[in-house]
Amino acid sequence: MHRIGRKWLLACALGFSVAAWGQTPTHPGLVAQDSLNGADTAWMMTSTALVLLMTLPGIALFYGGMVRRKNVLNTMASIVAVAALVSLLWFAVGYSIAFTPGSPWLGDGSRLWFSGLNYLKEAGKVAVSHVAPNVPESVYAMFQLTFAIITAALIVGALVERMRFSAMLWFTGMWSIVVYAPVAHWVWEPGGWLATMGVLDFAGGAVVHINAGVSGLVCAYVLGPRKGYGKEPFKPYNLGFTMAGAGLLWVGWFGFNAGSAVAADGRAGLAMAVTHIAASAGAIAWMLGEWIVRKRPSLLGLSSGLVAGLVAITPAAGFVTPASALMIGAVAGLACYWGATELKRLLNADDSLDVFGVHGIGGIVGALMTGLLANRTISGVQGDVGIQLLGVVAVLLYSATMSILLLWVTKVIVGLRVDDASEDAGLDISQHREQMGT
Amino acid sequence: MLPSEKIAIAAHLHVLLRRKTGRVTDTEWMASNADYAAEIVRFARASAEKDGHTDLGEWAAKLEATLAPTPPAATIAEKFVGMATAALPNDANQLRYIRGIR
Repeated sequence: MHRIGRKWLLACALGFSVAAWGQTPTHPGLVAQDSLNGADTAWMMTSTALVLLMTLPGIALFYGGMVRRKNVLNTMASIVAVAALVSLLWFAVGYSIAFTPGSPWLGDGSRLWFSGLNYLKEAGKVAVSHVAPNVPESVYAMFQLTFAIITAALIVGALVERMRFSAMLWFTGMWSIVVYAPVAHWVWEPGGWLATMGVLDFAGGAVVHINAGVSGLVCAYVLGPRKGYGKEPFKPYNLGFTMAGAGLLWVGWFGFNAGSAVAADGRAGLAMAVTHIAASAGAIAWMLGEWIVRKRPSLLGLSSGLVAGLVAITPAAGFVTPASALMIGAVAGLACYWGATELKRLLNADDSLDVFGVHGIGGIVGALMTGLLANRTISGVQGDVGIQLLGVVAVLLYSATMSILLLWVTKVIVGLRVDDASEDAGLDISQHREQMGT
Repeated sequence: MLPSEKIAIAAHLHVLLRRKTGRVTDTEWMASNADYAAEIVRFARASAEKDGHTDLGEWAAKLEATLAPTPPAATIAEKFVGMATAALPNDANQLRYIRGIR
């Protein structure tokens, strides 16, 4: 009974109506086309485009601006390639693993190759997911596909400037199936083991950000530092690119968080509002922290701070008030500034673009503060810091362990690092035979 | 010029020479030994002239520029940047972009 109650609460938390089914659906299936909600469907399609915009070109610009001139094109090529590769893998395997009932650990094979995502005009039927019964399953699968893309793309920031392009593709491809899809199942599929325990993760604090952050840190350790790290200055190519990318992330995050309401309703509106407030608070907090410590507020600090606020509000967006969002964003701005500077020195890993410092720390701050601040009057669920901590630890351990294993497999297949001469010449010319103009 | 920038130019020239003339060179040595670099510059220019590989000539010029013993005089913009950064504490100047960009 307790287990069923938890499931029902999670279903409500995910924001879907059970009216079209008459009872709580437990698996994907066909429904009458007129049972769909047009406004919800339109908003979900818009959100899908917004989240894709976060990666292409958002992350590409955000990361491309921070690397040295000789590695800009490799960084951007990595993001584009990851987007295409993960899309195909999600279509073939990932979606079925993540969003079908199966077991508490993995979904079943009923949606491999998007099979069953039907639109039957003559019969007047359309497939819907039990997680989002008011929109076509094709739309929901595509929405979730953009999350799978951006999560893998985030990891690229930790391994740029020294990893072979082929190794990066092998690793992120395997990671998307072996790490991302199962974790998404645990947290977001109503029968997933973390979901049934009551872990709250509205749009991916653990599934996306802690997952990518921890994996990025593992990559940094296993790959080793870039040549000259700690001795030479690694000047970013163009922080204007980075700011443009951060702006696209901010805008796209409305689709990420408000889209995760899976409806065009009041909860989505609230998610959008808290997202904006947290981003602003994160930017201001990081800026002030940097201003006090370093005597100068930087553009990169502002850009990083807004991302920190966005990361931290991600798990909380459908559960907290605007005032709580202000607090979450401000704490995340300062915590991530510490994560990308002092903690980075303590960890002694060359996490090139601070994927762990921003996404890992921001995700952990957001997950725990969701437990602290989730408001029953908004979503019908009350947060629990202990349960949230369990979710954080589970994702952290699984992601770290599997990342080590997958890096070892990748090393056996193609090797991990480029040779010294290629690293010196830059990965643009050595991996792609391309260069930036003068 | 930073050692890594010299090596980047040498490595580029190494690839071009290997591809266009078949000549195999030592990248690290090219970046650190002026006599060897001068000979490579001469050879690259000669090949460029003989076979019409204009890019070989361009990269030979870049390598030659790294051999110059004295740095060029600072431009007005560089002087301005130098004045601005001089206002920062010395430690901050020296450590900027070392061990991280933030």
